[in-house]
Amino acid sequence: MKAFETYLLDRAKTEGNHQLATYRKLGGYKSLEKVLETGITPQQVVEETKKSGLRGRGGAGFSTGMKWSFMPDATKDPRPRYLAINADESEPGTCKDRVLMEKDPHGLIEGSLLSAYAIRAKAVYIYVRGEYRLSYDRVASAVREARAAGLVGKNIAGSDFSCEIFMHKGAGAYICGEETGLMESLEGKRGHPRQKPPFPAQSGLWQSPTTVNNVETVFNAPFIMERGAAWFAGIGTPNSKGNFLVGISGHVNKPGVYELPFGVTAHEILEEKAGGMWKGRKLKAWFPGGSSCALLRGSDVDVVLDHDSLKARGSSLGTAAMVMMDDHTSIARVMEVIARFYEHESCGQCSQCREGTQWLSQIFRRIAHGRGQPDDIATLESLALGMAPGKTICALSDAAAIPTLSAVKLFKDELIECIRQQRDPLASPAPKYASVGAH
Amino acid sequence: MALPQTLVDEFDALVKNYPERRAALIMALHRCQETLGGWISPQTMEDLGAYFGLEPVEVFGVASFYPMFNLRPTGQHVVAVCHNISCDLRGAQDVIAQVCETTGAPLGGTSKDGRWSVRSVECQGACANAPMFDLDGVYHEDLTAEKVGRILGAVR
Amino acid sequence: MVKITVNGREIDADPTKPLIRACHDNGADVPIYCYHPGLTPVGSCRICQVEVKQGEAPGRVVVACRTNPVEGMVVDTESQKAHATRRECLEFLLKDHPLDCPICDKAGECDLQDFTFDEGQSAGRSNEPRRQLEKRKSLGEVIVLDEERCILCSRCVRFFEEVPKKAQLTVADLGWRSVIATFADRPLTGNYQGNIADLCPVGALTLKKFRFQARVWNLIKMSSTCVECSRGCSIQVEVLRGSDVKRFRPRTNPKVNGWWMCDVGRFAFDHANAGGRLEGARLREGTDLLQVPVEDALCALRDALMPAKSAAFVLSPFCTVEEGRAMLGLARRHNAEIAFVAPPPNGLKDDLLHTGDPCPNRRGLTELGIAGLTAAELAPRLVQAKVVVVAGERVAELLGAAVLQAIPPAANLFAFECHPFEARSLVALIGIPNHVERTGTIVNVDGVRGPLAAAKPAPRSVRALTRLLEDLERLSPRREAATR
Repeated sequence: MKAFETYLLDRAKTEGNHQLATYRKLGGYKSLEKVLETGITPQQVVEETKKSGLRGRGGAGFSTGMKWSFMPDATKDPRPRYLAINADESEPGTCKDRVLMEKDPHGLIEGSLLSAYAIRAKAVYIYVRGEYRLSYDRVASAVREARAAGLVGKNIAGSDFSCEIFMHKGAGAYICGEETGLMESLEGKRGHPRQKPPFPAQSGLWQSPTTVNNVETVFNAPFIMERGAAWFAGIGTPNSKGNFLVGISGHVNKPGVYELPFGVTAHEILEEKAGGMWKGRKLKAWFPGGSSCALLRGSDVDVVLDHDSLKARGSSLGTAAMVMMDDHTSIARVMEVIARFYEHESCGQCSQCREGTQWLSQIFRRIAHGRGQPDDIATLESLALGMAPGKTICALSDAAAIPTLSAVKLFKDELIECIRQQRDPLASPAPKYASVGAH
Repeated sequence: MALPQTLVDEFDALVKNYPERRAALIMALHRCQETLGGWISPQTMEDLGAYFGLEPVEVFGVASFYPMFNLRPTGQHVVAVCHNISCDLRGAQDVIAQVCETTGAPLGGTSKDGRWSVRSVECQGACANAPMFDLDGVYHEDLTAEKVGRILGAVR
Repeated sequence: MVKITVNGREIDADPTKPLIRACHDNGADVPIYCYHPGLTPVGSCRICQVEVKQGEAPGRVVVACRTNPVEGMVVDTESQKAHATRRECLEFLLKDHPLDCPICDKAGECDLQDFTFDEGQSAGRSNEPRRQLEKRKSLGEVIVLDEERCILCSRCVRFFEEVPKKAQLTVADLGWRSVIATFADRPLTGNYQGNIADLCPVGALTLKKFRFQARVWNLIKMSSTCVECSRGCSIQVEVLRGSDVKRFRPRTNPKVNGWWMCDVGRFAFDHANAGGRLEGARLREGTDLLQVPVEDALCALRDALMPAKSAAFVLSPFCTVEEGRAMLGLARRHNAEIAFVAPPPNGLKDDLLHTGDPCPNRRGLTELGIAGLTAAELAPRLVQAKVVVVAGERVAELLGAAVLQAIPPAANLFAFECHPFEARSLVALIGIPNHVERTGTIVNVDGVRGPLAAAKPAPRSVRALTRLLEDLERLSPRREAATR
């Protein structure tokens, strides 16, 4: 791949960057302070962000500037305004926000404050998944440091801008990563997603205007304001701008989180960053962006990993969490695991999702364990079509249906073979105590 | 029975972070689980209800929604092994088997001596360092058979 | 109001109410489970899907309970797409629903059954084992829960939160593992539990008192009014063919009770079914009261009333307006004092429906000019009268044995009652129908009139009080004099 400039993970490489002194030494908070000192208005921050082409990094990929501009006119709507940072990172294969929170928590704070400034929010709630204890502690500690330094709370950096940051924990439910599920959870309730409309900008936390942004998304804001929208828009592809964090896991030699510009291909990422497929094996199937997108074949690894290219290839960028599966992998087993995930995580409100996720899981489990039935494939397809698109309150139903349809489309023969033979020829051997870590 | 004063003081400070008190409920449930025996008992739910002005059944509805809250007592140590895709591809089932065998706890249950509870959980965000487990709130990643044995053996 | 088109017909729709209301109010039968007009809509069951078109945009399928009518909206509730989406949804719901119809109380009035029939879905594709949950979970004295039948519409949860305004149920756990539950298996409490059995669209929540009592298609249903307090909730009296009242259920009445009724009223039908009824008439003969033709008892009453200088009539607060009017006429003709016995408030008043006033027709009788007095206030006047006539169901019970017994033996006590009783001054007992056996009007505390219905035949030889008074007039000389 071509050489490229990094910025997202630069500070994170330095030991101690999670503490204020080091963060400042590395240039941290300069962007926020400059915006506040030079009198750049919130509206200007919104415009600059729109021009930059930054798109949400939490999976939906919506234009961040445009999402911010959905907030009502503060002069006409006196309700309190909130920014919620979605640090609930639970999409299978995704572990990138964690890196930012653990290693550059002040970067998240600076990005959050700048974003809060843009939407004129009076408070930021950082919703961290309950299991990310180190992330929570690092960010909480950084907030305390920042507050002591006059960077959080009243009159930030001596300006007229006041904004609080509150830490908040999730408790293990994937559906609380859905923005309205997150808001319900933040309000102290079961994380049942809400119908949209109304959208959070009209009626969000406590029915007040709210924007929910992913960790990595707001993390970009200080860089955009410091170096300009043109710089950001100069990186990447026509509709996917800037650098982004790619997670790559599964059957590769060097799984990890890597900062890359949009425009690199999956093949480049696999070979040049992740050390290629392990054990000299071939790539059989892979998820490009977490489990809620369509599976792709090994031959699809030539695709550019960006929004448009993946869409054209029949999948989506999602959280840019590549999960790579070698040619010893059982697709039936993969789908058993994936379907079980959605079965566990469905909140249960909508009939199609509550029953459908369970049904898909039951069918894949039977197929993977040699109890498949001849009409299972047709049933899987039909159920998935009944669960999506847009038939339910939120997209978890779609998230279960999409990989199902792709598995049935791309690996039908393999699934049929499992049914025909009444066994999974590619099933892993039963676990042996000594074989942990090996395969 | 009521919440210990130390918790009440904590919660009094916490509720100030939100325009509505109830928003602190899940944070409060975490603190109760951490400090009151590792689970959320019916008594705790009643006490939280009284504190937040909720019916106990409402607290129960919230607590039962979230997998991290234990509504039954657990063993002294809880091992939560991720069984989602990135971990499954790198031997999570082997980890689960080894953990169950070593601790004597059945998957989803507690060992007879009450020392260990073992469960398998969904993606914990350690995919690039699979397989992994969470032991008493600490992630242990890049597991091998040797590492699992060492980690479990070191627990007193 | 905005103009929308529903199934080709242009109608006026309230844009502040969900589209489902406009559909239902205009004959478009869209199925519903989680939606209920008396509760906040949640849009979770997804069954009420209809196709809407707005302007040039292509038609899309939406849930009608969470969509508001917008000017120019074109709604098709019967399109292929709408039905297909509903059928998909039904299949998902039926996947885990147990095949309990043959033993389920709800059969015949089950929304799941009905909509499945409507959509013509006779076979499901699932061979997966169904959930195994508790099928007879007692939720207290009133309700039993079958967790397997529950389709998690959450109406019951919302009911307690929004109507009596005290949460008692929750959805516990999540996903397909969700169950409706109370806290720590505690029983439900309060006077409104029965409503959740009405609300439940399937047979998950059923009434213990109705369990296995009747098949609903064998129930004869008549519109009536509850008589347990002066709220006069609109009810439906449901009588098993050839047998007893098996159920009272609320009728929707926005002016009185909305969609609800309290448990005191709901389960009061035991009274109506009680045996030991007074059939025909009995007349004093020595120390006995002997069965006689009704006319004989009426003649005895006529003979006692004619020379009487002082007569006192006491009505039951259960007497209808028509009965009150007839007794008033009789009282005027004989210069009798007339009042109704009004027991004091019974302490059951709540913030919702129960008024705590055990006189269902207090207002109706008062508006006729008949005063309501307690038994204690009535006692001295009864002791002084030469003839006492008590009339109406439960009048003897409400006056009390002590008051009745205090009436001196020389006085003549006549009673029109449902149940026989004894008192030393008693001359005649004449049987009358109770509140499920006769028609009439009662007026509630706010002045709203409610009907009683003859849902059940009265016992043998029992005639309505109004008819008995007409018969009495026919037997009376003044009438004879007028016709001579």
